[in-house]
Parts: sequence; C-alpha cells; structure tokens
Amino acid sequence: MAAETSPQRSFALRHRNFLLGAVAVVLFFAAWQAIFLIVPFDPLFISKPSLIAAGFVDLIESGDLIHDLAVSAVPFFVGLIAAVIIGVPLGIVMGWRVRVGYALDPLMTVFYASPLVALAPLLVIFFGVGVTGKAIIVFSLAVFPFIFNVCAGVRTTDRLLINVVRSLGGGERDLYLKVLFPSVLPYIVAGARIAVGRALIGVLVGEFFAASEGIGYAISRFGDIFAIDRMFGCILTVMAIAVVLTEGIRWAERAAFPWRTGQ
Amino acid sequence: MPAYIQGRNVNLTFRPLNRAPVRALSNFDIDVQEGEFLSIVGPSGCGKSTFLNILLGLIKPDSGELLMHGRKISGPGTDRAMVFQEFGLLPWRTVTNNIELGLELKKLPAAQRAAIAERLVSLVGLTGFESHYPHELSGGMKQRVGLARALATNPDVLLMDEPFAALDAQTRDLMQVELLRIWREARKTVLFVTHQIDEAIYLSDRVMVMSKRPGRAKKIFAIDLPRPREYEMRVTPEFNGLKLEIWNTLKDEIAI
Repeated sequence: MAAETSPQRSFALRHRNFLLGAVAVVLFFAAWQAIFLIVPFDPLFISKPSLIAAGFVDLIESGDLIHDLAVSAVPFFVGLIAAVIIGVPLGIVMGWRVRVGYALDPLMTVFYASPLVALAPLLVIFFGVGVTGKAIIVFSLAVFPFIFNVCAGVRTTDRLLINVVRSLGGGERDLYLKVLFPSVLPYIVAGARIAVGRALIGVLVGEFFAASEGIGYAISRFGDIFAIDRMFGCILTVMAIAVVLTEGIRWAERAAFPWRTGQ
Repeated sequence: MPAYIQGRNVNLTFRPLNRAPVRALSNFDIDVQEGEFLSIVGPSGCGKSTFLNILLGLIKPDSGELLMHGRKISGPGTDRAMVFQEFGLLPWRTVTNNIELGLELKKLPAAQRAAIAERLVSLVGLTGFESHYPHELSGGMKQRVGLARALATNPDVLLMDEPFAALDAQTRDLMQVELLRIWREARKTVLFVTHQIDEAIYLSDRVMVMSKRPGRAKKIFAIDLPRPREYEMRVTPEFNGLKLEIWNTLKDEIAI
C-alpha cells in the first residue's frame, strides 16, 4: 500500500544503500571544495574539485586519458587473466592434495607478504619496458588472492559431495571438475575482488618505473610538471575504475550463481 | 544357495591421529538375499553406517570377507548406490542434473541420460521441478532427488543410510510409503540403516539388531507381515508385538 501512495519514498528506500554511499561521496567533494574557502593552500601542491574537474574535461577532450587507459588496460587484463589461469588450478591442487599444500604454503606466504612492488624495477630490467614486464608485475600481485582464496575454498568443500561422486564411480579428474571447481567458484570471485585492486596497483607501479604512455605514466608525469589538477583527474579516474570493477564483480557474483541465492 | 551379499568376520578399527583407536566393527557377519529389504537398527555409533560405507566401497575393512554375487567388493561400483542422510545433492546442479550425475560419470550420451532422468523424475514424483536447484526444494523433495540419483545408474543394491532422519515426522511417514511403492516398481535389494524401529518393521523383510560398539549382528527378526503394507498395519497387535521384541533386544545395547 505504501508503495502506491508514496512512490518517491519507496524509490529512496529501494536504493537506500546506494544513495547513502552516493551522498557520502558528494559530501566528501563538497567539503574538499569548501575547505579552500577557509584555508589558503598552495595550489602548487594540492588541487580542489573544481580545478580537477576542469583538468579532467581537458584530458577527455584531448583524448589523452582514453589513450592512456587503453594502453594500461593491456598489461592489466593480461596479468589478471594469467593470475586466474595459474592461481585457480594451483589453489585447488594446494587445497586438495594436502602434501602439495604443506609443501607450497610457506613459499606462497613469503611471496605474498614480501614487498613485490619493490621488485618492480628488477622485473622491468628482466622483461623490458613493454607489456610483458608490466603484465608480470600485475600477475605477481594479483595471483595470490586467487591461490589463497581457492585453497581455503577447497578445504571447506563438503566431504559428503566428494563421497557422492566417488561412490558413483567418479575418479580424481571427476572430483576436480564436478565438485572442487564448482564449489570454489564463489571463492574465485571473492579473490577477484581483492586481485583487481592489487592489479591496478601493479599497472601503476610498472608505469611509474618505465613507460612512455599509460595512466600510471600520466600520473607521474603530471606530478613531475606540477599539473596537480590533471594528476588528480587521473587518480580519481583510476579510483572510479576500481569501484566499477569491484561492483561489477559483486553484481556478476549474484547473477552467475543462482544456487547461492538461498544461502 | 549362497546369499547375494555375504559378510564374514568383517573387522574395522578407526585410527584417528592423536586419538585412541576406535573399534567400529568386530567379526561382523551378514547375509542378504537378492531382492530383500533388510533394515539394520542399532545404538548410535555401533558401526551401521560404517558397514554401509564398506559395502559401498568407500572404506576398506581391516580383515574379513565381503562378497557380492560371489565377487569380492574392492571399491565403488555401479552395482551399488547410496542414499545419504544429508542428501548430498550438488547445490549448483538442478534436479535433473543431479539425477544425471552417476550417468555422466558412466559416460552415457546426453540423450540417454535425459531419458533416464525424465523417467526417474516421474517415478519419484518430482515432475515440474526438473530445473529447480536443491535450495528451492523441501527436505522430502531433496531426498526424492537423492533416491532418483541412486536409482539412475540402475544398481542391484540400494544402500540407505538413515535416509529419512533429516525429515520431519509427517514427511518421513509419507516417504516410507513412497519408498515401498518405488521399491515395488524398481525391485532392488535394499539395505536400510535407521534408528526407528517402526520404520524398520514397516519397510523390511528382515530387521537386524546390532550390538553396541564394536558392532556385530546381535539378532535378526523376520518380519512376516503381508505386503503390500498399508499405513494402518502400524497399529496392529502383530506390528506392536514385533516392535516390543526388537526394542527388548536393542535396549540393553543403548547407553546414555
């Protein structure tokens, strides 16, 4: 009944979570803009939303932003896809074959905990300034969330389902394909949410060290020439992309696993 | 003529890491005739489910002989299928795809699988729910799928490990009636593990009472009640007489 008498309110209620988040973002930028009215910051070192917006429009119109994003997208996706292709099977095997798990776990933890970003210059020296070097940086950051999540997922797999497939004559291969892989799908998605953020960092770091184009290169170049407004324009674009990708994965998760809606 | 399933001196001890070993079965003997419905009742932890898992081929006994059709049981095989207490349905598969699981593992072509699944869906009374996922089904419906999946590979022996224990009392009564109907149509040898004496008598040709752990066969009761069995049979003096007899055999084994 309430829905018929006050449709506007029901819209607000239906999108309450989204609206609350959006209001917070708007307030944040409003406060950022407002603080310049009170405190006289040096515009050489910090920018404000109105200037950033102008710089952003500039970048769009010149086509530079789109070009840089397209360039950065290649190592980002190559590295991320490689992380899925290597990380998921490795995580499943580590979770399922207990001895493999015990053998590799310390090594993986060491790599995960180490500041791989610090190795970026070395990777660039080994693999060059092209796509390969950056894709490898992205891969080395993004692969661990897949490995660890999937490995944990395998260990929570219902033993009963393993017994069901075995009792119906299923072999090791059937266990991987018909039980383990489908049961870790949600863990792959959870891993992907973390991996996307790390992969973005990987691209940016790779381009900071050695690049002549790409969004990371643009950020560091604008910083070097004190074009703070455009630098922030690029940074905010990367942030927006991170949000869109993460939310996209969350949406895909709901759409892709209809059997989980009851859980 | 030797029995269809023959167990002699089956022994099994579980040896969990950092725990005292547990003797599950001790010189366990069993004879099951072809086409028979045999129930096993016994106190909790007496090894009845363990025995079904040995028969299924998932656990190897330490010693003893277990023959089916004169051949030694050495692993899982499509001549046996289990209906599990907690259903064991793959949550990412629809009703039809769950039923087809065993056929897929046998590498049957899709058209044949679909035909068998369709027939079983109707046998277990799930027509209209073919594309539902397990989480959309009630407990009774889930176990219908579990039963259909076990029947799909056309096994000779159906092993049922407290299949109705997770269901509410009324659904359980209904499922017992349904099981007898399906058993009449499918004609399988059934080994049925339960805690409920009523259920065991109502369904079975014979009821085996097991001792407390380590489990062995304590006594076997022949249930000479006429078939087909009606629900009203449960209130006859014959039924209650058997119930009392079995209870008296069982109660000494139960410790709380």
